[in-house]
Formats: sequence, C-alpha cells, structure tokens
Amino acid sequence: MSTTQAAGAIPRALARRRPIRRRQWAGLFFVLPAVALVVAFFVVPLAMTAWMSLHNWPLMGASRFIGLDNYLAIARDTRFWNALRFTALYTVVVTIAIFAAAFPLALFVEKPRPFGGFYRTAYFLPVVVGFASASLLWAWLLNVDAGLFSPAADALGLTDGRVNLLADFDPAFWSIIAMVVWKVAGFTMVILMTGLQSIPADYLEAAKIDGAGPWARFRRITLPLMRRTIALALILSVTGSMLAFDQFYIILGGGPRNQTVTAVYWIFNQSFVSFRLGYGAALSMVLLAILLVLSVIQLRLLRHPEGES
Amino acid sequence: MKRLMQRLAGGIALLALTVSAASAETFTLWVRSDGSNFMPRIVEAFNQSHEDKAELQIVPVAELVQKYATAAAGGAAPDALSLDLIYTPSFAAAGQLEDITDFAKSLPYFDKLSPAHVKTGTYKDRIYGLPYSADSSVLIWNKKLFRQAGLDPDKGPTNWAEIEAAAEKVAALGGDTKGFYFSGACGGCNIFTFTPLIWASGGDILTEDGSKATLDTPQMRDAIAFYRDMVKKGLVPEGARTDTGSNFFAAFARGNIGLAPSGAFAIGALNTQFPDIEYGVTFLPGKTGGWSSFAGGDNFVVTKGTTKLKAIKAFLDFSYSLEGQTLLARYGSLPVRGDISGEALKDLDPRYKIAAEAMEKGRTPYSVVFNDIINSMNSPWAQMVNEVFFGDDVDGSLANAQETMQGIIDSAPGN
Repeated sequence: MSTTQAAGAIPRALARRRPIRRRQWAGLFFVLPAVALVVAFFVVPLAMTAWMSLHNWPLMGASRFIGLDNYLAIARDTRFWNALRFTALYTVVVTIAIFAAAFPLALFVEKPRPFGGFYRTAYFLPVVVGFASASLLWAWLLNVDAGLFSPAADALGLTDGRVNLLADFDPAFWSIIAMVVWKVAGFTMVILMTGLQSIPADYLEAAKIDGAGPWARFRRITLPLMRRTIALALILSVTGSMLAFDQFYIILGGGPRNQTVTAVYWIFNQSFVSFRLGYGAALSMVLLAILLVLSVIQLRLLRHPEGES
Repeated sequence: MKRLMQRLAGGIALLALTVSAASAETFTLWVRSDGSNFMPRIVEAFNQSHEDKAELQIVPVAELVQKYATAAAGGAAPDALSLDLIYTPSFAAAGQLEDITDFAKSLPYFDKLSPAHVKTGTYKDRIYGLPYSADSSVLIWNKKLFRQAGLDPDKGPTNWAEIEAAAEKVAALGGDTKGFYFSGACGGCNIFTFTPLIWASGGDILTEDGSKATLDTPQMRDAIAFYRDMVKKGLVPEGARTDTGSNFFAAFARGNIGLAPSGAFAIGALNTQFPDIEYGVTFLPGKTGGWSSFAGGDNFVVTKGTTKLKAIKAFLDFSYSLEGQTLLARYGSLPVRGDISGEALKDLDPRYKIAAEAMEKGRTPYSVVFNDIINSMNSPWAQMVNEVFFGDDVDGSLANAQETMQGIIDSAPGN
C-alpha cells in the first residue's frame, strides 16, 4: 500500500511542472503487460463468475439464465450462513492467536542478539511449507491411532487412554488453531519486525530520557508508529482466515459432524460435489463482497487515527 | 464334405473380416480407478478377438465426474464410461447420456442382468445405464480370533444379538483386539454396510422413487441402538469415530478386529494382499434374522451423440459373454449376469458365492441427488451416522438429517 502511494506521488509532482502527455502514454505502455495479466487472470474470470452466478449452471448439461434466483437461494441457505458464522469465529480467534504469538516473537528477534538469525529462520521455516503439506503433516500428528500427540500423551501418563483429538469440536478446533499459528505466525512476525525496525531509535531514546517506562514506550511510540504495518498484517491475516479451506478439508473433512465447514469449503462443495457451478459462483460473489467490506473497515480504522488527518 | 465345410467357413470368415474391416470402429472408454484391475484385461481380450477396438483410459475415482463433465463441455468426452452406478440417475437427468433402451431390451439375457443396476440405470422409464461391475456388502469375520475367543470359527452370526455376543467375546481377548469395526465418519461406507441392517429388518431410508427421506423409523432406531451399544461397551476402536473411510478395509486387514461389515471386494483384496488372514463371509443380517445387501458397482453408460454405437454394443455383448464375466470375476468384481454367474465363479474362492448371492438380492437406493444427501463427505447422512453412533442427541440428529435431506431432494433439478 505504501509503495503505490509513493509511486502515485511522484508523477503528480512532476505533472504540475510541465505537460507530459507523451510520457503518460509511455507509462501506460510500460504497465501494459501487467494490465494485460490482471485483465486476463483477474478481471475476466471475475466477470465470468458474476455472469455464471446469474445462471443455473450445472457442471454437466446446459446452463439456463435465472436472474437473481441464486442470490435469493443464498438468503435461505442456512448451511452457508452457519459456515460463514463458523468462518467468522475462526477468523477472530486465529487472528488474535497469530498476533499474540507473532508480536512477542517480532520483539524478540528484532533486537540484535546471539543466534538472532537462527531464531528468525526457525520461526519463519513453517511458512515456506505449503498449506496442504502442512495439513497432511498435522493430520498425521493428530491421528489417534498412528499419530504423535495422543499416543505420546497416553505413554507419558498425561491422559487416561488415548484421546481422539479430532472427535469433538473443541479439541479439533483448537488443534487447527495451533496448527495455523505454527504455520503462519512466522510470516506475521516478519511483517511486524520490519515495522519495528522502521521506528527511529531516537524517538525511543528521547522517551527513555523523559522517563517513559517500557510499557509506556511500547504503547505511546511503538504501537502508533506501527499502525500501517499492523494494518497490513491484520488485513492479510483476516483475508487469509476468511478464505480458509485446506486445513479444514484435509485434517477434519469439515468434521466433527460438519461443524467446521468454512465458507470456501461450502462453495467448493456446492460447485464440485453438488455440481452447482452457478450457485457456487453466486456464493463466491457474496464472499467477495463481505471481504471487500471487511478490508475497507480495517483500512478506515487503521489509516485515520483520531487526531491525525 | 468336412473339408468343403471348412473351406466354406474359412471363406465366410474371410468375407466377414473384410466387411468388418471396412467399418471397424475404435471407441474411447473411461473407467474409474476401482476398475483398474479387471477393465484392462477385458479390453485386451476384446481387442484381440474383435475388429472393433476399445481404447481405455483409467481415471482416478475422485476426479472422474469432474473430468468427464469438463471433457463433455469441451466436446472431448469418451464414447462410453463405466460409472459408479449411483451417479447414473443424476447423469441421465443432466441430459448427458444416450438412451440405450432399445439395445438393452434386445439382449436375450436382459432380464438376467443385475436388477439393482438396471433400476439405477433407468431414468423416467428409459434405460441409460447397464450393469458392468458389481460389489455387494457382506459381513466378514476373523476365524483365528473367533477360535481364540472360544467361538465356532466356521459359523457366522445370523442376527444382531449374535454379532454383539461374538464381538464381546473377541474384545474380551484384550490388548489391541477389538470386536467390531465400522468407519464412523464415512457416509459412503455406512450406506453400503449399515442400511442393509435396516433393510433386512424391514425398514428403508428413502421411498422407492427417492422423493421422500424416511429416516426416522423403528428399524433405524433399533439399528442405531445396536451400534451405540457396541460403542458404549468399548467393542469398537476409538479411531472408528473419525475414520472417513481410509480404514474401511485396512482395519480388518490388520487382523485384530473380530467382525466388520465390508464388501465383496474385500475377498479379492484379502486373498492377494493379506493371505495370512483367515476369514469367513456371511450376509449382513436383520435384527432377528433375514439378510440384505447393498448392490453397488458400475453402470456402463454411453455419451449422448456418440457415433461409435456399433463398437460399444459389440464390447458390451462381449463383456456379458461367459468369457467376459469370467474375466470380471477373476479380477476383482462380481459377475453381473445372473444366469451365468455360477459358471463364471466356479473356479474361484467359494466365498464369492455368498457375495454373488447377496448381489442378486441386493438393493440400491435411487436418487438423483445421491451424492449430495448420502455419499459426499459433508452430506446430511454422513453427519447423521456420526452423531447417532457417538453423540448424545439421537432424536435431534435424526430430525435434523431428515429435514436437510428432504430439503436437498426438494430443491433438486427436475423437482
């Protein structure tokens, strides 16, 4: 976000000084490949999705224009709203959990210390594993018969017999939260770390001389100056969580008892299990709208703090 | 005279060869990966003995429908397809399949073909699918564990009480040994192995035409109580609760499960992959006796608008011959033609006979939304079986599943 603003600021400053019609055309020419890619792989598919969402579009057979019927059906689709409610719950919990883990980690690895590089790498390592592979790994770790956690807890005498972690909602849900924090916290940590590093040391030093304690310095200087960074990390985390699919599909299969079916999971089911592509497209449009609203709200909240313009 | 006849016959054969060579056809055929054992052998035998040729492609079972649908949309669908029979109504309803009623009725052995297949292959009184491969659900038991537990290893249980009693005795052996196994989080497994218990007791989960879900019946409640009781007594391994089907066969094959509802496919798989397991095969019984079975397998369907009907018909005719049925039986499927199934199976493991008999009287629920309401991982049926076997609120689960299933049926295309 900050890069686009910077890029936008320079031409505007130049434009005031002299007319540069030709340069604008040249600029357009330079961005043309990027524009073509965006059009081909984002705008056109999006338009097609919107078009499909107005049809009864089965995976097989002929499609039929039905206007807004799909959207009316969504309003009555309790299983979709349940999935969305679960996705919202998951997003709130996992975002708090990720920040709770990533912020201390960022504060820890930001300062120069022995083995600093090692810690950074270690915390970041799970990020480079694909989500599907990580899910398969944890599906095994969490398996009650052949896995690690339940048999280990049993062998150490922590539990009376083996506990099937995936059989009930609470342990299954928190297992997924733990897995996602392990997987994603390193990424959020790196983003937050760059924010921390961009704070001039003078500010903190001056505050220290004025007698501000560590907590006051963190709250009054570090946090406000990291507003932009936090906004980025927050939007990435919220968007990613609202689109969660792999871990619930691979580890839990939407279970126990369909209690962990997320919004994207439901879209996938409608499109490729029930073969209702048109309805799946309509659901996707609804989810897109929800995500847009959420992102705008977050940007508003974090970009214009009280007292600043 | 004999010589003359021979020469004449040779001449006719030559003539036939040239004629058919002129119009020899090659048709493309897809089969799901479950059929990767028998289908290549049948295609090979067909290609060697016929002028018309079949070109086979094996498709992973989980991708078959998507692949076929996208290929059809792009005009590259195969001419014919061996398809999980439960999909036939929905494929036919989508207008994707060729009406083969006349060809089917012209077969002299049409009324001997597996009735369950023909029923699911029929949509609005026209035939779109004919039986190809077959798999029926049966009950298998571990003879070694039965012997250790002091039970008669050669006598399978004939009602629920006997199953539970045997499971208790086997589980009493202790250690990792358990009495009974089922995949508790798998809709497809339980429609295959749990509904026969209900059918054999006189109940059903859908009306004949699939237009109404009838989950809340006394037979269903009895069967649920039967499973719950075994779970409560600890006769079922803890992993059953979250098994989405991956252990459906493997659990029994490990050799520490007393009894498990399974399928005819297990006979071939156990014989070839786990020859040390000593096991018996019997019918899935009703509460107080009787038996039933889920008749599963593949229907053979033809893509609408194909020009290779002649070759396809020749291939089907060959598949239904004694040679075709014997190949089918030898490589992992039950025969689908009742009048020669005994002969096709005569050199094979005698336990196949039980499975073949189960197939003949087996049933298959009919629904154009079978995948939605039953087979898919998040179907109301899959959710219900897990809830009623392991949860606390049987009434609520039944009511919820009934309502969701009926809702899906009512909003199905064509309704």
